[in-house]
Amino acid sequence: MSSVLDVVLSSAFLAAVLRVATPYLLAAFGGLVAERAGIGNIALEGQMLGAACTGALVAGYSHSVALGAVCGVAVATLLGVLLAALRLELGADAIIAGIGINLLASGATAYAVYTLLDDKGGTSGLKSGTVPTVTLPGIEHVPVLGDVVSGQNLVTWLAFLAAPFVAWLFFRTRFGFHLRAVGETPDAAASVGIPVRRVQYAGLALSGALAGLAGVFLSMGYVSFFVRDMTAGRGFIALAAVFLGGLRPWGVFLAALGFGAAEALAVQLGTLDVPPQLVSTIPYAMTLVALAVYAWRRKRRGAAGEVATASL
Amino acid sequence: MTLIEAEDRRQYRATRRRDLAVDLGMALATVLAALTIGFLVMLATGNDPVRAYEVMLTGPLERSFRVGRWLEDATTLTLLGLSVAIPFRARQLSLGAESQLYAGALAAAAVAVFLPLPAVAAVIVPMVAAAMAGAGMGLVPGSMKARLGANEIVATLMLNAIAVRVYDYLVNGPLKEPGSSAVHSKPIQRDSALTPLSDWFGIPMGRANVGLGLMLLTAVALWLLITRTPLGYRIRMTGANPDFAAYGGIKVPRIIEWSFVIGGAVAGLAGAHLVQGVYGRLEPGLAGSLAFEGIVVALLARNNPLVVVVAGLCYSYLRAGGDIMEQQTDVGTEIVVVIQAVIVLLVTAQAPPDLLKRRIARKQVGVR
Amino acid sequence: MMNESWRKDGPAVAARAVTKTYANGVRAVRGVHLEVPPGEIRAVVGENGAGKSTLMKLFYGLEQPSSGEILIGGQPRTLRGPASAIALGVGMVHQNFMLVPSFTIAQNVVLGVEPGRRGLVDPKAAVETTARLAAGAGLAVDPRARVDEVSVGMRQRAEILKALHRRAKVLILDEPTAVLTPQETEDLFAAVRRLRDGGMTVLFISHKLREVREISDRVSVMRAGSLVGTVTTADATERSLASMMVGRDLSLDVDRAPARPTGVTLRVRGLRYEAPVGRSLHGLDFDVAGGEIVGVAGIEGNGQSELAEILAGLRRPTAGTVHVGGIDTAGLDVAGHRRAGVGYVPEDRLRNGAALDGSIADNLVVDRHDRPPLARRGTLHPGAVRAHAERLIEEYAIRTPDPSVPVRALSGGNVQKVIVARELSAGPRLLIASQVTRGVDVGAMRFVYEQLVAARDAGAAVLLISADLTELLALSDRLLVLKDGRPVARFDDTTGLTEKRVGLYMLGVEQHEQDHLTAGLEDLGEAS
Repeated sequence: MSSVLDVVLSSAFLAAVLRVATPYLLAAFGGLVAERAGIGNIALEGQMLGAACTGALVAGYSHSVALGAVCGVAVATLLGVLLAALRLELGADAIIAGIGINLLASGATAYAVYTLLDDKGGTSGLKSGTVPTVTLPGIEHVPVLGDVVSGQNLVTWLAFLAAPFVAWLFFRTRFGFHLRAVGETPDAAASVGIPVRRVQYAGLALSGALAGLAGVFLSMGYVSFFVRDMTAGRGFIALAAVFLGGLRPWGVFLAALGFGAAEALAVQLGTLDVPPQLVSTIPYAMTLVALAVYAWRRKRRGAAGEVATASL
Repeated sequence: MTLIEAEDRRQYRATRRRDLAVDLGMALATVLAALTIGFLVMLATGNDPVRAYEVMLTGPLERSFRVGRWLEDATTLTLLGLSVAIPFRARQLSLGAESQLYAGALAAAAVAVFLPLPAVAAVIVPMVAAAMAGAGMGLVPGSMKARLGANEIVATLMLNAIAVRVYDYLVNGPLKEPGSSAVHSKPIQRDSALTPLSDWFGIPMGRANVGLGLMLLTAVALWLLITRTPLGYRIRMTGANPDFAAYGGIKVPRIIEWSFVIGGAVAGLAGAHLVQGVYGRLEPGLAGSLAFEGIVVALLARNNPLVVVVAGLCYSYLRAGGDIMEQQTDVGTEIVVVIQAVIVLLVTAQAPPDLLKRRIARKQVGVR
Repeated sequence: MMNESWRKDGPAVAARAVTKTYANGVRAVRGVHLEVPPGEIRAVVGENGAGKSTLMKLFYGLEQPSSGEILIGGQPRTLRGPASAIALGVGMVHQNFMLVPSFTIAQNVVLGVEPGRRGLVDPKAAVETTARLAAGAGLAVDPRARVDEVSVGMRQRAEILKALHRRAKVLILDEPTAVLTPQETEDLFAAVRRLRDGGMTVLFISHKLREVREISDRVSVMRAGSLVGTVTTADATERSLASMMVGRDLSLDVDRAPARPTGVTLRVRGLRYEAPVGRSLHGLDFDVAGGEIVGVAGIEGNGQSELAEILAGLRRPTAGTVHVGGIDTAGLDVAGHRRAGVGYVPEDRLRNGAALDGSIADNLVVDRHDRPPLARRGTLHPGAVRAHAERLIEEYAIRTPDPSVPVRALSGGNVQKVIVARELSAGPRLLIASQVTRGVDVGAMRFVYEQLVAARDAGAAVLLISADLTELLALSDRLLVLKDGRPVARFDDTTGLTEKRVGLYMLGVEQHEQDHLTAGLEDLGEAS
């Protein structure tokens, strides 16, 4: 057991947690923004995948990491807008449309990679590079923190800045107020002249962009190439983090970080002769239990909490 | 335009026929639009779409073993579509077919590999075990939703993730065939295998088996359940308006659980079909992406069990055609996934068909 | 604000030959001419479905007229949405409030026109603005309280402040008093008068004639989408307004012979209910005999809904006993209640009275789909379900071309017929009928009344719960009054009983002695 503790307390492990948590954090915030705007974004998975593939391909052919990253995020943003358009213009069910977008991304990325590179697996044959790492000057001399933080990818920094950003956006800006109002009570928002659809489009675009950043990190940070279906269900886990975090920015932050930590732990424990598949079920089992506890508590509290509304 | 209630029966029937025609027309238009998009994509990526489509659309029927591959795939896919159609009918968005399938596959294999049974029982007992395991797996999110109000989408997604990993562990570990270099379980006992269709028709039909008949029976049984039994009525009313169902004396939580249990049992059967009919053992990643595509099939069929069969057959035909297309042309089979995705996205659009119906109705009133 | 574009002279708001036809063909407003001068409180009255609300939506830009013109500030306007109406100085307080529950009052008041620079919101300024507006208008609110934690009255005041924050010159109040206590109503009226004296034009939608007489300067009466006329309030009486509203004298005399009560069917003793949500009940004792209609009066929200749902089995009482035909039902589930012979016409038929996407046939069998003749040996027979529906459609005059029509496609009165047909065809021992004629047209209303009386004459015990006193007095053989979850009055003879007199009890001005409330009831001590 002491070896497990050694692993967990090492700065290398903490650095791994930040790295592994990055896509979860970004995608979860993407999911949060969409959920708060009133359109559940189940297409996070597809948006990440689209961004990961586009980023690697564009960067590989243009030899510009920046251009690749921008194009990746742009594709994911467009997929977010597509989801909003299907929901708002064509009356589609957001969940079904989301499944459709995931399917589209899965098929289109694989088709693109196969057509361009004649490779079924991914873009490992293409040199595409990674987003640069960032080290704050002097921080590497701070004990522990220096080891954990320095040399982290720029996107990882962005992921951790996303929490305060989203909190600020929600609770300090006009757009955030309108977004939350639109998601909670669209009629009320419309009755004071807030352009409900426009706000929802913007929310879903932002949601897609955040998921896109997560995807860019996967293929241009975590590793340096695109692999078919490389998101491997991260979009859905991020969605779970949104609910687990109670739809609040800092709650979602903690939930996503927890998923990252559990996954990093599973990787580490795999080296200690524990079946890695079983260890990697821990975050999901935790979510399941948390979901039940959360629902049970809300059910008990719900009765009291709704007094005001129900006395209408 | 007038309210429906003021129409006479003849007008009403005409309206219904017209709406049905619009729906069918839209379905056809959807498929054509998706194929057109696929055509343009292939053209844009420098392929020959005419040749590709020719191969894709005629390929699966050209040889009997290809027909077999199509039917074998359609059997699993349709069972998975049926498995989600039932909870969908109760308006429960269960995405848990994957976990239920793996539970069923494990249960079927456990019996079929290790438990010696007399001839007929050797086929049936593993299937019953699979259905029960799938049902149990469905009951977990079902109860969480029905008793606690926990979101079933999240619960089923989590269970999928867990089931996939546990299955992977078992196939790589305790259940791995001793002494084999390949990762898979020991084969099932001979008596437990579902009879291949090749034995019946005397022509090579690949791995297609009597599971096909089982699937058709299941579809009919579920259709009868939904339309001809009190439980089916309760499922429909729970889906239509749970408050109304409760007011009418229906125990809504119990019905929600039943919908998950029935769906889980059918997904478990899909697992049994893969183990006893297709692979004859546990293979890693048994289900592939079939579980999610089952959802698509159910949605395309609007959760009507009989239509699910048609949708499942069509959908699998596209999949089978895509594989053949990839073998014979330069076009990747993934284009089929793109086409399918476009179909899903277009089918979800509710507004255009409604608009069209209303416009037609208004035009008719103008004429009258 | 574009308020500068208001002309000094002319009406504040006006409609010229305005007609509104909805996409489903319903003509809600027909050729209405209406002019309201600035600084007037104008009441617009009419029955449910008379077109009042639609007309107001046209003024607020929520709907666009099919033909005719809307004038605001003396000029014809095209209102593309609430935003353009707000910009022209029109504010509206909706019947179901348009507030964001998780926001504070201040955040709701400023929503859409937040103070702050460069896309940011200044929360302190929002609170200050709200407090200043509230003080100026005499509308007491707590700017920092979350909307879902404050009283209904405060929510309404927040709605008015919203309009004031947008510098409204015209304020539309849609049935503002339906949810208020008498005291809150008085306060609201005082605030509205103050606003009027400050130059505000107020459109006051209501069907409570007493309040209309109290608050308005003039009254416009609508009937079936048309404007029947406008009178000065001082010249109008409730009776004259009522006859304009319904186009007939408002005597709702239903043909009914004196009741012939048989034995006690419903016996309620010491009934208590601790509501986690809504109104608690504090000890109810009463009987309803077979063959009589007992009315339950009270201002809405005084425990009527809870009582109905307890008797129907949708809620469990905390203490006390309920017997229906001798069967103790207090511990049974809904199905058990129905087996004991309880029928229930729910107050909100769209919420739980029907499955709107279900067919008429399916909606008619929810309580009997598992029994012969519809189901035998575990099999439900669609043919039998259809035949059952055909029979009830005929018997209860439900207007439909076919039993397979979804209930969503029916009008309100017709949906109610479906529900009444289901509940009465079950042959209930006890029928609980809650708000049976809400949103129902006159024809269906009369039909429902006749059916209730017929059920009574066939020996059923009928408990009639209604917010409409006229209806209660026309139908009830006996009457109970609920206030704050307690019985406060019991009238064993309703002949000669007036709305005014019952109103005194509803408002808590008078109260019967406990002895009178429980006189003649047996087994009283049993549960309390």
